[in-house]
Amino acid sequence: MDDQLALAEQIVEKATKLGAQDAVADVFKNRNFEIRFSQNQMDIANTWRETAGWLFVAVDRRLVFTDIRDFTKWEKVVTDTVAVARKSQENPEYGGIAAGPFHYRQEHPDPKVIGLQEGGALVEAGIEAATKAGATETAGSFWRNEEEHHLATSAGVRASRHGASLYYSIRALRSLEESGHGVECSTTLSGFHPERAGLKAGEIAKRADKPQKGDAGKYDVLFDTLFLGSLADQIVGRAGAFAVMAGLSPLKDKVGQKIAHEGVTLYDDATAASNGARLWDDEGVPTQRNTVVEKGVLKTYLHNTSTAKLFNTKTTGNAGLVGPNSYALAVEPGTATKDSLMREIKDGLYVTNTWYSRYQSYVTGDFSTIPRDGIFRVKNGEIVGAVKDLRLTDNILGVWQRMEALSKERQEVMWWGEVSVPSVVPYGLARQVGFTKSSM
Amino acid sequence: MQKDLAELAVTQAQGLGATYAEARLERHSTEYFILKNGVLDALSVSEDSGIGVRVLVNGSLGFATTNTLTKDDVRGAAEDAVRVAKGARRRDPITFAQEPAVTATWGVTEKRKLADVDIEQKLRDVTDIEKDLVATKIPLAARMFQASTNRIDKYFTNSEGSKITSYSPRVRLFYFLTCVEGGDAEQTYRNYGWSGGWEALEEWKASERILAEARSLERSLKEGKKSPEGKFDLICGPQVSGIASHESCGHPTEADRILGREASQAGKSFITADAIGNTVGSSVVNVCDDPTIKNAIAYYEYDDEGVKARRRYLYKGGKIHEFLQNRETAAKLHTRSNGASRATTYSLEAIPRMANTFVEPQDHSFEELLEGVKHGIYMKSFMEWNIDDKRYNQKYVGREAYMIENGEIKQPVRKVVLELTTPAFWGAVEAVGNDLEFEAGFCGKSDPMQALDAAMGGPHMRLRGVHLR
Repeated sequence: MDDQLALAEQIVEKATKLGAQDAVADVFKNRNFEIRFSQNQMDIANTWRETAGWLFVAVDRRLVFTDIRDFTKWEKVVTDTVAVARKSQENPEYGGIAAGPFHYRQEHPDPKVIGLQEGGALVEAGIEAATKAGATETAGSFWRNEEEHHLATSAGVRASRHGASLYYSIRALRSLEESGHGVECSTTLSGFHPERAGLKAGEIAKRADKPQKGDAGKYDVLFDTLFLGSLADQIVGRAGAFAVMAGLSPLKDKVGQKIAHEGVTLYDDATAASNGARLWDDEGVPTQRNTVVEKGVLKTYLHNTSTAKLFNTKTTGNAGLVGPNSYALAVEPGTATKDSLMREIKDGLYVTNTWYSRYQSYVTGDFSTIPRDGIFRVKNGEIVGAVKDLRLTDNILGVWQRMEALSKERQEVMWWGEVSVPSVVPYGLARQVGFTKSSM
Repeated sequence: MQKDLAELAVTQAQGLGATYAEARLERHSTEYFILKNGVLDALSVSEDSGIGVRVLVNGSLGFATTNTLTKDDVRGAAEDAVRVAKGARRRDPITFAQEPAVTATWGVTEKRKLADVDIEQKLRDVTDIEKDLVATKIPLAARMFQASTNRIDKYFTNSEGSKITSYSPRVRLFYFLTCVEGGDAEQTYRNYGWSGGWEALEEWKASERILAEARSLERSLKEGKKSPEGKFDLICGPQVSGIASHESCGHPTEADRILGREASQAGKSFITADAIGNTVGSSVVNVCDDPTIKNAIAYYEYDDEGVKARRRYLYKGGKIHEFLQNRETAAKLHTRSNGASRATTYSLEAIPRMANTFVEPQDHSFEELLEGVKHGIYMKSFMEWNIDDKRYNQKYVGREAYMIENGEIKQPVRKVVLELTTPAFWGAVEAVGNDLEFEAGFCGKSDPMQALDAAMGGPHMRLRGVHLR
């Protein structure tokens, strides 16, 4: 590990000698393993051996990023990158990188996760749980991730970290329109239970028996965790200052304003033990808990050093290569239970998953997203049947303003495309949410 | 390229027990920049080389990859692929449809070679478009351009004797504009894609078209009113024809999706394996996927399994005609691969993918399509769109749209919503235009997500009696 940190330092040193005022180098090693499965059996096992790095240089406010994929050529890459920066255009909004050194938390990856050589038994445990619950078909993936990062910056950062995590995603089906989805995230082998995800997916699939076409209208809605994770991602994921400035966020000019129900608190927190945990951002700034929405009020955007200066504030430790990013999202729990939230619904829906969220206007937040897997009709607090072919068509801020209650039980979720960062979320109850359907 | 490393990977895997082995050795030389509100936010210039090794062992698939191109690391990747394949416990052995071994070299010609055009020039060309936009004085509160070039050198070899060398240069330009006036806003984005050189910007007429788009944004804001609800005849622009062909024809005819291999990610399909010949639209509907269209962003001559590319008619005469296949799905469905297997890069497995998907043009001019509409709506482009994971319920919300009265385009209308099923959409197509335009996209599928270069397009089309709101 020391060799790779020394290499990161050499890269930064060479860049500064060549004229870069700021330089950041990250030398990393990923050793990942994945099993994909469908029809209750494994389709392919994938392994990745990746040893690479990236370099950022600023030369007279001219900024260039590059990947270093072949370390036998790293000196040429640094020389070429500084030369490209000299030919580039000045970025007057550039505010430099954070001055280190910093102190970081300790990271203790589970040796049992690192030592895990295969995942067949774990995959099968999830499949078995789903099929026992009633599924006839399952599909999904199992991931074992391990990463080392060695970061050096021209502003005094010198740091190494080593992390590992496990992830399982399973969709259970009884037919094309009777399905459920479950996921499992963990940084420890003892805390990893793919059978829990399989059971949940299988139970939803079984309950989604013979769905009938749903009716358009406004419904009180109980959101399961995967769905709520997607809705939270639409807020915190769009709270990055880059998204705000580029017109890709409904949060522009809304800091200090109420954008969600008073019971809603959303934060980005890569310091908590989750699959999204990381010690520092891409400038080396220690990650921290950032409350983005507190009791319904938008408190801050997510920043790097440059965007923080533009907004007259401090970096939130969310620097990404291009703009600030959310790393690990959380929704503060409420006081209800999933069952008590359900009992609050006189005439509504319980939706378990969604995908394909798209906007007509990021400025206003007008969007739609398509529930997938089990969608259930709820009357007088009880599920009375399954429905299908509905689309949530509403305003993202409006949905959060009508998110009246949250459960105290939470789950860490992450899912392909829709829940883009690991998110610890409860169940949520929102009132009068708009649904549309195909006209013909 | 060190082709001997690819040969080594295949030999090594065979020696360890692989009944089939293939290696993709690739080098991606990329440039990428973002211009946000006139400021160059990010410029990235990189090169990435590596190898992906896929093997079949006892009917199980294994895949391994490394970006460290030494003999030891390549041998290690081959060993990894065989090891993990042996660890996979399958009941039903995977087989591949038979394909001939191929020795070939292909490449795309660049009028202005990407490597010869300095990054300064590329930055200047896109910055000039941005300056032209600002000069219009249209109230564009936010403007973002993303431009990229990728020169892909690839060598494919397999244990059956195929050896294919290729060069594929690609250019992309994406823009996103926000127009704000009087507290109201309209937004738009477009994606251009090109296989070829830096001539792309001129070929696209990028500057002219982006300025026209900005003017239409402003006009929509100033003059546009919410569209009326009811049953209308609808003229779809090429962008709408393109997105519909991609979402509700290309995706549901992917064989791996039909077989359930994507069920947990991109989903399944309303189309079943025995549905060839079933009616899904009117008799004038032909939707193709064709990798051999010159200069389209997803141009290729051989796919990532070494199978020759060809045009595929997915819907023909309104009926389901053909699925997108790779060798694995073709064997399961007792047919042949049609050269649809692709991966975004060497480090990911190749699976059935769309290339350039489009509605095949027919014989109506745009004027003739309009003449047939007494009272209708012209949806030239869209902003919001989505479709369910079985590819049956789709929605497109108009960006640029106008009323049509007695065959003439009238005032702009905003937020026209077309939300209907796949058979309802294609069944309502009554006449197809003779024009053809493409737009680029990133098509998302697989795990890990592979956002792959794809083009989608079509002519104008006339749909009868669809419900709009």
